[in-house]
Amino acid sequence: MNNDLVIKNLHVEVDGQEILKGIDLTVEQGKIHAIMGPNGSGKSTLAYTLAGHPRYEVTEGEVWYKGQNVLDLEPDERARLGLFLAFQYPVAVAGVSVANFLRAAINAHRAEEGVDPRKTAIPVAEFRKKLRERLQLLNMDESFARRYLNEGFSGGEKKRLEILQMAMLEPSMAVMDETDSGLDIDALRIVANGINSIKEQRPEMGILLITHYQRLLNYIKPDVVHVLMDGRIVREGGPELALELEEKGYDWIREEVIGHAS
Amino acid sequence: MTTPAKDLEFDYSKYGFRDEERYVYKSQKGLSPEVVKQISHMKGEPEWMLKRRLKALEIFQKKPLPLQGMWANPSLANLNFDEIYYYIRPDEKKSRSWDDVPESIRQTFEKLGIPEAERKFLAGVGAQYESEVVYHSLREEWEKLGVIFLDTDTGLKEYPELFKEYFGTVVPAADNKFAALNTAVWSGGSFIYVPKGVKVDIPLQAYFRINAENMGQFERTLIIVEEGAEVHYIEGCLPEGELVSLGDEMVPIESVAPGTLALNSDGYLAPVVSARRRSYRGDLVRIVPLSPGNAFELTPEHPVWALRRGRVARPRADRPATQWDIADARFTDAEPEWVPAGELEPGDLICFPVAVRSLDHPEISDDLLRFLGYYLAEGSAFRNGVSNAPTVSISLDSRDSTTIADVRALMTRLAGKPAGVYEVPAKHEARVYVYSAELLEIAQQYCGVGSATKRLHPHLMELPPERQRLLLETYLTGDGSRHTRSNGRTLVRAATVSRTLAFQLQEILARLGIYAGILVRKAGSESMPDGRVVRRCEQYVLHYEDGATVRRVRFDARRNCFWVPVRAVARRPYEGWVYNLEMASAPNAYLARGFAVHNCTAPIYSTNSLHSAVVEIIVKKGAKCRYTTIQNWANNIYNLVTKRAVAYEEATMEWIDGNIGSRLTMKYPSVYLMGRGARGEVLSVAYAGRGQHQDAGAKMIHAAPDTTSRITNKSVSKDGGRTTYRGLAKVQPGATNAKINVVCDALILDEQSASDTIPFIEVEEHDATLAHEATVGKIGEDQLFYLMSRGLSEAEALSMIVLGFMEPFTRELPMEYAVELNRLIHLEMEGSVG
Ligand SMILES: Nc1ncnc2c1ncn2[C@@H]1O[C@H](COP(=O)(O)OP(=O)(O)OP(=O)(O)O)[C@@H](O)[C@H]1O
Ligand SMILES: [Mg+2]
Repeated sequence: MNNDLVIKNLHVEVDGQEILKGIDLTVEQGKIHAIMGPNGSGKSTLAYTLAGHPRYEVTEGEVWYKGQNVLDLEPDERARLGLFLAFQYPVAVAGVSVANFLRAAINAHRAEEGVDPRKTAIPVAEFRKKLRERLQLLNMDESFARRYLNEGFSGGEKKRLEILQMAMLEPSMAVMDETDSGLDIDALRIVANGINSIKEQRPEMGILLITHYQRLLNYIKPDVVHVLMDGRIVREGGPELALELEEKGYDWIREEVIGHAS
Repeated sequence: MTTPAKDLEFDYSKYGFRDEERYVYKSQKGLSPEVVKQISHMKGEPEWMLKRRLKALEIFQKKPLPLQGMWANPSLANLNFDEIYYYIRPDEKKSRSWDDVPESIRQTFEKLGIPEAERKFLAGVGAQYESEVVYHSLREEWEKLGVIFLDTDTGLKEYPELFKEYFGTVVPAADNKFAALNTAVWSGGSFIYVPKGVKVDIPLQAYFRINAENMGQFERTLIIVEEGAEVHYIEGCLPEGELVSLGDEMVPIESVAPGTLALNSDGYLAPVVSARRRSYRGDLVRIVPLSPGNAFELTPEHPVWALRRGRVARPRADRPATQWDIADARFTDAEPEWVPAGELEPGDLICFPVAVRSLDHPEISDDLLRFLGYYLAEGSAFRNGVSNAPTVSISLDSRDSTTIADVRALMTRLAGKPAGVYEVPAKHEARVYVYSAELLEIAQQYCGVGSATKRLHPHLMELPPERQRLLLETYLTGDGSRHTRSNGRTLVRAATVSRTLAFQLQEILARLGIYAGILVRKAGSESMPDGRVVRRCEQYVLHYEDGATVRRVRFDARRNCFWVPVRAVARRPYEGWVYNLEMASAPNAYLARGFAVHNCTAPIYSTNSLHSAVVEIIVKKGAKCRYTTIQNWANNIYNLVTKRAVAYEEATMEWIDGNIGSRLTMKYPSVYLMGRGARGEVLSVAYAGRGQHQDAGAKMIHAAPDTTSRITNKSVSKDGGRTTYRGLAKVQPGATNAKINVVCDALILDEQSASDTIPFIEVEEHDATLAHEATVGKIGEDQLFYLMSRGLSEAEALSMIVLGFMEPFTRELPMEYAVELNRLIHLEMEGSVG
């Protein structure tokens, strides 16, 4: 089965304003794709749209994954299909502990229609073991699991928690929206190593990395780099493209694109 | 407007239990000195208590209802004190061990879901069944230390001195109208005495419930905690049945759309008066009639309109249950009866009424009906992805030229412009299409959009059967297949992925005199010869024999219904909501998947019941008392409770108070901080759903120096429910250095719901420290999305957020109560989504 994530001619509006203006992009299974682009170019919009945020309205286009048009699915159905989004700005939920939340989420993934959920639920011991392992992988203290979801978390802690969730839910396609921002140098290395070892264990997992910095790409080697500008993919290349952007910024591309247009 | 689709789909017809009411004595309805004397006499009370009662009755009758003013609530005007039974005594004696508890009551406890394990190790449990406590015991070791835990009636008998000293001192009869009422007619409740220095480290527990309609429950609880002693008392208040949406509005629950008309067992449309829901743990019975697609589930007590097989069958011992002949003579004479679902057996006949439709409907031409039949079978209506042109298209077999010509002519006439044909030779397919915005709209409006959601518009369901036949015929041309059997009969089959449509067509066929069965073909994938795998949705296959009445299904002209044999009866354990409808018609019965079931077994409270308890607590120097309540009363109950404690020097009083049920709760647990350094705390949550008003709060009276009070109130409102926080914090002269902390957080889940906060603060000392914080919030789209993006359904995400909000309360509860509360909230949240 082909497990590429295929985005075709995707147009998205927010509050009546068109932000994505026809994105064509395929994230191949097992590959790492990076998206770079200036602030406000629509990177998070793309990420949210893929995850099904209700505020983002798709006016045209299709997104195919595992034989389904993802746009027809509710956010939870997309998640259960194997899509995962690590948020740029994770949301806090008071009173809900990380551990309880993760267990509920895992059980939601394991649930089968018509089967007593108690039968499919993850056994407590197995869950604890898995949680402990993944916490260690990301150098997180066990006390994290007892804290409330993102409540009072520092910026860096939030990002780690996103990756912890990814490690627990084991998606087959992960979109990471600026997971590197807000991380200090050590944390960046730990999180990147964590991502790499998750990827090693699950080589078939596809990754779409949204980032501003070459820094992250030093740790996580992308197969393809895409440049998003003003709601369109304007350039694609190998890892060297990221280096070039780091050096020269975006203006040269902008000029070239406008140059082409005129 | 009618919504027949909903009616036909209504399959959650599962019902209730109510113990047979077995009472030795049930007082007259209404209140009078005679009733009060009678109550006191039955209990063999001392004279002074009778005098107290009579005095209180006078006060009650003099005091007006608090309909106006600071602590008033106008909906109290709905209470009718003359319609209430003030005293009911069950026929069972008080018991001291679980084994002595009568079977019927033990069953009730099981239904209430009090877990086995918990019951076993419980140290002290009191259960108020109606007005009297039937089970009460205390672990011996506590008894030896002098701890008393009794029902209040027995307490009064055995410890009259303690009662003389303390009864009515914290809450005098004159305090408020409901305290007066309670004092006049109280019965049951718990009496606890903890001697000096004794720390009872396990919670003492009691359960209260209301079973009889119009029952008032007026328990009286008195707790005395002597110096340096400690106790935790927990009461659970549980309903007999979860009721939803009472009142004269026509109100929806999950399965019933607003203003729904439902078919009753005579086949007429009648409005649903009320739809009720309660949580249920127990067996469900699954009845599979000759048409397995119509199988339905209900609770064992739920009556089904049935002809017992024994009454109509010609005995044929040599054959299996479903193969038998109806004796015509017996059939004509037999009278159907309401048989509890749990008693039905294979071979019994159940009633499939033929719908009688009589509402107005607009003109619909023959052409349109015939077109809609084709459209339902093979049509699609969409805007072209490229040109955006409104397109209606019907796929047909390219070799069937007659039908192609017919469809083309129809569409041309209806659209007013020529319809085209597009051939897909590889598939032997011919698509007849026309670009017409009008026809697109008509098709979508009358028949729905996608194939799984296709359904007939109510107007079509109202047409006379001869007209419906037109639609049915073209539908079967498209979707149906006919096989002529060797015996000359024709078998007709039609498959659809829309369950609603299948039931609608079944109804139409019944009106045409044909009983059609529905088979369900499970979803699955099929491997095609070329290696492709095709995923198939669940399919409903309608089938009948043309021109022959199915022998085993009888039409009953007198009652205008079919009698269909039950093929199988099965049971399964179930936990979750069960539903019941009350119809505005006689018979008060509706259809479960087409079959007639009555509504009568579920406990029906057409009038309101009253729970008006008084709790008095005395916490002496250095002592500590915690009182935990979780009430989940039925939604017809007025829950008007006076709870008050006095705390002396360095004493601590904590009220942990959860209000989930009831129609109206008015409850403001209070602490009078009478000695230096006394502490008072009220931690409460309230949940108000449809038709509910939770008016709860706290009162803290600082009457001594260095006293501290803390009030934390969390409320959630949903589906039009309303929550009110009302609180009073008062610092009296001389109560220097008082500390007051009030936090009220309200969560409002939808636009129809509301919450308000009414804090009163009166401070008569200058050095009081006061913190007051109130927040009102809605559940953010972003929170919901965040949780859903991890795979949680909307209902799961919603309950998680609500439970998180309530967590500061929940974590104070003993495990089993916390679990129960979570379960209740989860069910409430699930009810609303999807
Ligand atoms: N919910 C919203 N309401 C209004 N405007 C929005 C919303 N979401 C996105 N936008 C607008 O859409 C554009 C693209 O935003 P988006 O967040 O996708 O950019 P980005 O590429 O992720 O930027 P950054 O690098 O700063 O994260 C911006 O102009 C932004 O203001
Ligand atoms: Mg962004």
